[in-house]
Amino acid sequence: MPEIFLKTNYFFNPHAIPICLVGLFILIGGVFLRLRKRNSLLTLSFLFICLSVSLWLLATTMGVSSKNIEIASFWFKLDNFGVMFISVSILFFTKAVLGIKKYKAITAGYIIAFILGIIALRTKWLVVGAKEHFWGLFPSWGFLSIPVLVLFFGYMGTSFFILFENYLKGNLTPLKKNQIRYIIIAYLIGYTGSVDFLPTFNIEIYPFGYISIFLYLSIIAYTTVRYSLMDIKVALTRTGIFIIIYTLILGSPFALALTYRDWLIGILGPNWWIAPLGLMAILATAGPFIYIYIERKAEERLLKEQRRYQNVLKQAAMGMTRIRDLNRLLNLIAHIVTKTVRISYVGIYLYNKDTEEFVLQVSRDKDRVPIPKVALDNPLVFWLDHKREPLIYEEVKRQAQELHDPASSYAHLEEIMRTLTASVVIPSFLEDKFMGFIVLGDKLSGQIYTPEDLNVFQVLASQAALAIENAQFYAETQEMQSQIAQAEKMATIGTMADGLSHQINNRFYALSLIAEDTVDTIKTTDLTKCTPEMKEMIKHITHALDRIQSNVMQGGEVVKGILKYTRKGVEGLMPITLDQILDGTLEMVQYKVKLSEIDIIRNYEKDIPKIKGNLTQLQEVFFNFIDNAYDAIVERRSTLKEEGYRGKITVSAQPKDTKLEILVEDNGIGVKDADEKKLFTPFFTTKTSTRKGTGLGLYVIKKLITDAHKGKIIFESAYKVGTRFIVELPIAV
Amino acid sequence: MAKLLIVDDEADVREFAANFFRRRKIDVFTAGNGEEAINIAEGQKPNLILLDIKMEGVDGIQVLERIRQKDSSVKVIMVTGTKPEENETFAKCLQLGATNYIHKPLQLDELEKIVLKELN
Repeated sequence: MPEIFLKTNYFFNPHAIPICLVGLFILIGGVFLRLRKRNSLLTLSFLFICLSVSLWLLATTMGVSSKNIEIASFWFKLDNFGVMFISVSILFFTKAVLGIKKYKAITAGYIIAFILGIIALRTKWLVVGAKEHFWGLFPSWGFLSIPVLVLFFGYMGTSFFILFENYLKGNLTPLKKNQIRYIIIAYLIGYTGSVDFLPTFNIEIYPFGYISIFLYLSIIAYTTVRYSLMDIKVALTRTGIFIIIYTLILGSPFALALTYRDWLIGILGPNWWIAPLGLMAILATAGPFIYIYIERKAEERLLKEQRRYQNVLKQAAMGMTRIRDLNRLLNLIAHIVTKTVRISYVGIYLYNKDTEEFVLQVSRDKDRVPIPKVALDNPLVFWLDHKREPLIYEEVKRQAQELHDPASSYAHLEEIMRTLTASVVIPSFLEDKFMGFIVLGDKLSGQIYTPEDLNVFQVLASQAALAIENAQFYAETQEMQSQIAQAEKMATIGTMADGLSHQINNRFYALSLIAEDTVDTIKTTDLTKCTPEMKEMIKHITHALDRIQSNVMQGGEVVKGILKYTRKGVEGLMPITLDQILDGTLEMVQYKVKLSEIDIIRNYEKDIPKIKGNLTQLQEVFFNFIDNAYDAIVERRSTLKEEGYRGKITVSAQPKDTKLEILVEDNGIGVKDADEKKLFTPFFTTKTSTRKGTGLGLYVIKKLITDAHKGKIIFESAYKVGTRFIVELPIAV
Repeated sequence: MAKLLIVDDEADVREFAANFFRRRKIDVFTAGNGEEAINIAEGQKPNLILLDIKMEGVDGIQVLERIRQKDSSVKVIMVTGTKPEENETFAKCLQLGATNYIHKPLQLDELEKIVLKELN
């Protein structure tokens, strides 16, 4: 046994170098990835693969470098010990990638491998000896090779089988599909390393298995970087490139020195070391330039796609704040994101403070039925509000799987994100306000969202928040302004009405006098000498003049009504009775509303206390109630067409503490989904008819009641039943 | 014969109202503005004046004042187109000696009643 450690039993075999290097690389790779992510089955199984393979390769290195068969055999037995575990570990890794939690076959495999391995070590049933090949010694196998090969290829076959099965099943995310695709390729290439079995059966083929393994390792590394295999985010860092380049720069001279030492000595004599030194000097000088060049090229190629859309997004983010129309803005955002980043689905959810939920405003999707609303108490909202970071579906799913608990918050999050078809959810905050969030589906290319991607999207989201706030504010302001303009118009009409009505009254007065005097003239004229035809004509004329007079009087009444309606009221609060308010209201409203069509019922005691209020304003308020009630009644009559339906408005009142509670109820059509908060916003209207109120709208009514009178107003309604306004006004003391 | 002065800036009003009352054997004079009104009132000494409060550029109340100054026995009825919320105006007119207050538009037979009452 101690002979193993005797240097003289070994020689320098150049063929051993690549095997050794690959063995080391794969060992370092496996350990490195395991350290990056310690609590993952993926990295664990991958580590097992790497350990088995590196044991195989490193032991082979020692074996082919051995001078005698005894020692070589020992090493080859050791290398085969490693080989036993390779396929089983590959199956383990495969199952981990696919999330298949059945470990019986794997456990059995490891046990069998262990047993076979021990047998191989202690007996000559596997490695019967070593033979000299042109590259050095290599094992020869005996009959135990059969079960070993069955184990090896059996587990290999199983891995491929389940990979293909899952790949073709079709319910995988594009990301997963890409991962599996590359794993299959890696395995196929890696398993060509089985060529190393051939020399053991006396077939003279150079065992280039290490090349296959090297390629396999590269493909796995690539998949890790590009497709987040093993859920490890490895960015192509400058450090990485630096290390690779400088390893080559510093390593090559050493490799040169070691490999071709004898040849160099032959050429250059005792100063042979100048050659490697010289090479190092040259490479070290050229190093930085090579590094910069390669780095730039590498980043350009790998990140070209990303750079492209990151730039577009940045520009879009800055241009967004200039768009004032909310809808246009949101559509623009959705459009940019889908077209530029090439995503399968985008949804933008904005917070609606009236309904206290997140509502889908805009979406671009391919045949998906999006979820229109997300409530405030949804765990997704809670999480986003809490963490203020983008939420990534693959990560959440991974966490949920590892916790094995279907009731965990991660499991809930996973489900929600799945129903939203979200690959990433990016929240948007404006200072402390949670404005909304953007749901992004998978990238059409199947790639992952890199940290740079998420960064850019977060910038986009915060700019969007600002732009959206702008747009919303703008829309509100516009509505406000139009309401103010409307109120101003009304005020102007009010001032004009005074002058106008005076003039109109003068016309009526003149008309009236003219008509009456003419009638009087006819009455006082002696008609006895008139023919019957003339008498008839005069009778007609008299009748016509009477009609003119009647119309004139009516006109006068209308003018009186207008005056009342548009007069400037007295400012300030005074004790007034409900009757006063209603009388004035009814006088005003009779010109808009056919009072004969409906019943207006006053249902209160004569001695209810007086209200402290402004008569003009309150008449305005009740005018609005009655006007709205009338419209509701008319709508009910025309849509429901009920037999014997009669519209009814009931006004009742009773004192409640220091307030008088007044109810105005109608049996009109009512409002669907009566939502009090919505009703009093500036935009809301239920009026389906074209009769827009000449009143000031419920928004201003609310202000009159709550601000000017310090009262309360509540709205209740039920579809096909009716509507009720409850107003509380302070009692005059 | 009783004398009536109708003061109104509307020509139609003057014509037809005058027509009406002339048929009732009343001597009717008309004036279209304040100055005219004061002159005719002074010259013709009517028993009753129907005085329009709002005439172009002339305050009927001032006219009332000046007529009453010249002759405190003449009866003046103020005619107005607006509602009597202007209680001060009404009070002022009474102060200045107006007999009554009527509103336009007014039915002619009512006007007749009032005028005949004052003239007898």
